Amino acid sequence: MNLTVFLQNVLNGLSIGSIYAIFALGYTLVFSILGIINFAHGAVFTLGAYFTYMLMGNAFGFNGLLANLALPIRLPFALALFFGSIAAGLVSVLIERLAFRPLRRKKADSLLTVVSSLGVAVVIVNLIQYLVGAEIYTFPPDTYGTLPPAINFGTEANPIPIRSVQVVIFVVSGVIVSLLTYLINATKYGKAMRAVAEDPTTASLLGIDPDRFIVLTFFVSGFLGGLAGTLVGSSVSIAGPYFGIGFGLKGLAVIVLGGLGSIPGAVVGGLTIGLVEAFVPGDYSAYKDAVAFGILFIMLLVRPQGLLGRSLVQKV
Amino acid sequence: MNDFVSTYGFLFVSMILGAMLGLSLYLPLMAGQLSLASPGFYALGGYVAAILSTKVFQVKEPFPIALLLLEMLIAGIICGLLGVIVGVPALRLRGIYLAIATIAFVEILRVLALNLDITGGAVGIFGIPQPFQSPIEYLWIVLPLLLISMAFVYRLEKIRVGRAFIAIREDELAADSMGINPTYYKALAFTLGAILAGVVGAISAHFLNTWNARQGTFDASIIYLTFVLIGGSRTFLGPVLGGMVFTALPEILRAIADTPGLPVWLAQFLRDGRLIIFGLLIVIGTRFFPQGLVTPQLLKRRSRSQANR
Repeated sequence: MNLTVFLQNVLNGLSIGSIYAIFALGYTLVFSILGIINFAHGAVFTLGAYFTYMLMGNAFGFNGLLANLALPIRLPFALALFFGSIAAGLVSVLIERLAFRPLRRKKADSLLTVVSSLGVAVVIVNLIQYLVGAEIYTFPPDTYGTLPPAINFGTEANPIPIRSVQVVIFVVSGVIVSLLTYLINATKYGKAMRAVAEDPTTASLLGIDPDRFIVLTFFVSGFLGGLAGTLVGSSVSIAGPYFGIGFGLKGLAVIVLGGLGSIPGAVVGGLTIGLVEAFVPGDYSAYKDAVAFGILFIMLLVRPQGLLGRSLVQKV
Repeated sequence: MNDFVSTYGFLFVSMILGAMLGLSLYLPLMAGQLSLASPGFYALGGYVAAILSTKVFQVKEPFPIALLLLEMLIAGIICGLLGVIVGVPALRLRGIYLAIATIAFVEILRVLALNLDITGGAVGIFGIPQPFQSPIEYLWIVLPLLLISMAFVYRLEKIRVGRAFIAIREDELAADSMGINPTYYKALAFTLGAILAGVVGAISAHFLNTWNARQGTFDASIIYLTFVLIGGSRTFLGPVLGGMVFTALPEILRAIADTPGLPVWLAQFLRDGRLIIFGLLIVIGTRFFPQGLVTPQLLKRRSRSQANR
C-alpha cells in the first residue's frame, strides 16, 4: 500500500468514524442518564435525514401518502441541517414522553423499556414507509453549494484528493463534539445532567428536577442522531426507511467498544471502527459490516466494560 | 370446507411455526436471559435443510418425510453445537450486554449468508423440494412438534432444571450461592432455544420453498420478542399464544379492513400500516401489560374458578 492510499484510507476512516462518534454519543448520553439503550435512536437518525431533505425543498417520490410533496421553502444546506436536527431532537423528546417516562414512573424492568423503544423504532420506520414510500432519495448535487467535489491535500505532483463532503463531515463533527464536551463539562446544565446520571434521587434532593434533564438529554441525543443521519444521507443517499436500523446496530458496536455510557469512549470507539472499516481490503468489502460486529462480539467477551468504561460491579 | 383449508392452510402452519419460535425465545428467558439469537439459529437451520435437500439428497418430489426428519435432526444438532460454542462465553454477560451480543451474532450470520457461495448469496436458495401436496399437510409435522415442545417446556417448568432456571431468573447471585451453577443452566436454556429455532428453520425452508438472508434479521428478532413479551413471558402458554396471534395479525387486520362501511383511509391503513400497528402494540403492551397477556395469575384464577363451580 503506497502512502497516498494509506492517507486516503485514514482520512476516509476518520470521516465515517466521526459520524459514528456523533451518532453513538446520542446513545451514550441516554444510557449514561437512564442505563437504558434507546433502540429508537436509529429511527431518529433516519428521520433527521428525511427532515433535512424536506427542508431543502426537495420533492418526494410518487409512493406513499405524501407522494410528490415538496415544501414551498428552500433552505440552504447548513440551515436545513440545523432545523432538521432540531426536529429530530423534538421527536426524540416525544419518544421519551410516550415510551420511556410512563415505564419509568412504574419503575418497570429496564429490559421492558428497551423493548418499548424497539416498538417505537418499528412504528417510526414503517410510518416513514407509509408516508413517503421505500425508495432511495439522493440529495441533489448542488447540496453543498459551490464547494468543489474534491479537495487536494497533497502536492501538485503527488495529489491526495479527498471528497469535500468528507471534509464537511469531519469539520461539523469536530465542532459538535467540542460543543458537547463544553456543554457537559463546563456549564451548569452539564453539571446537573451529570448529577442526574450519577443518582437521580440525590439530584432531586438538591433541587434538580430529573425529568427536565432527562428531556434535555433526549433532545440533545435526538439532535445528534438527526445530524448524523443527514451527514450520511447527504454524502451517500437516504437508502429508504430502514437505513437507520443497520446504522443503529453498528452504533451499538461503537458504544460497547468505547464503553457504555462513556462520552470520550463513544468518540474513540467511533473513530476506531471507522478506521478499521476503511482498511478492509476492497476484495472483502462485502464483509465490512461483519467487522464491526466481530469487534463488538469479541469486545463483549474480553472486556465488556469497553475501552474507557468503568468496570462492572455485581451487586446483591 | 375445502376452500377454507386452501385459503387458510398456509396461515395455520405459519401460526404454529410462530408459536414455536416464540418458545425458542422463551427458553433462555426462563433463565432470565434476554437473547435475540433465535432468528440466527432459525436462519441457520433453514440453510442446513435447504442445502441438504437441494445439493446433497438428489431425490424426486415428493421429498421423503424421513429425509425431512433427518434434516430437522441435523439442523437441531448443528444449532445446538453452535449454541454451546456461542452460549458459554456469551452468557457471562447479563441483561442488555447479552442482548447486544446476540444481535451481533445474528448480524454476523446474516452477512456471512449474504456473501458465501454455498448459501446462494443475496439471491438465496430456490426450489426447495416439497414433501407434501399442499401447505396444510405440513400440519402432520408441525402440530406434533408443537405439542411435544409444549409438553417438554411444561414438564421442564416442574422439574429441578426448570426450577433452577427460574431461580436464576429471579436472582442469579442468590441461586449461585444455593449451589445452582448459573453458567451451566444458562447455557442449557440458551442451547435448548437454539435447537428449537434450528429445527423450526429446517421445516420453514421446505414450507416457504425458498430461503435467503432476509430470514434472519434484526427485524425478525423484534417480532419474535414481541410474541413472547406481549403473549406473556412468565408461562409457556404466553409465547405460544403470542406467536399464533401475532403471526395471524396481518390476516386479521386484512379481514377487518374488508368489512363494509369503513372509511377508505382506515381500511387502507389497516392493510398497509400493519407494521405500524405492530409497533404500537409493542409500546402499549409494555406499558399496560408488563407481564404479557397470559400470566400465571390469570391461569391460576381460571383454574380456581373452575374448581369452585
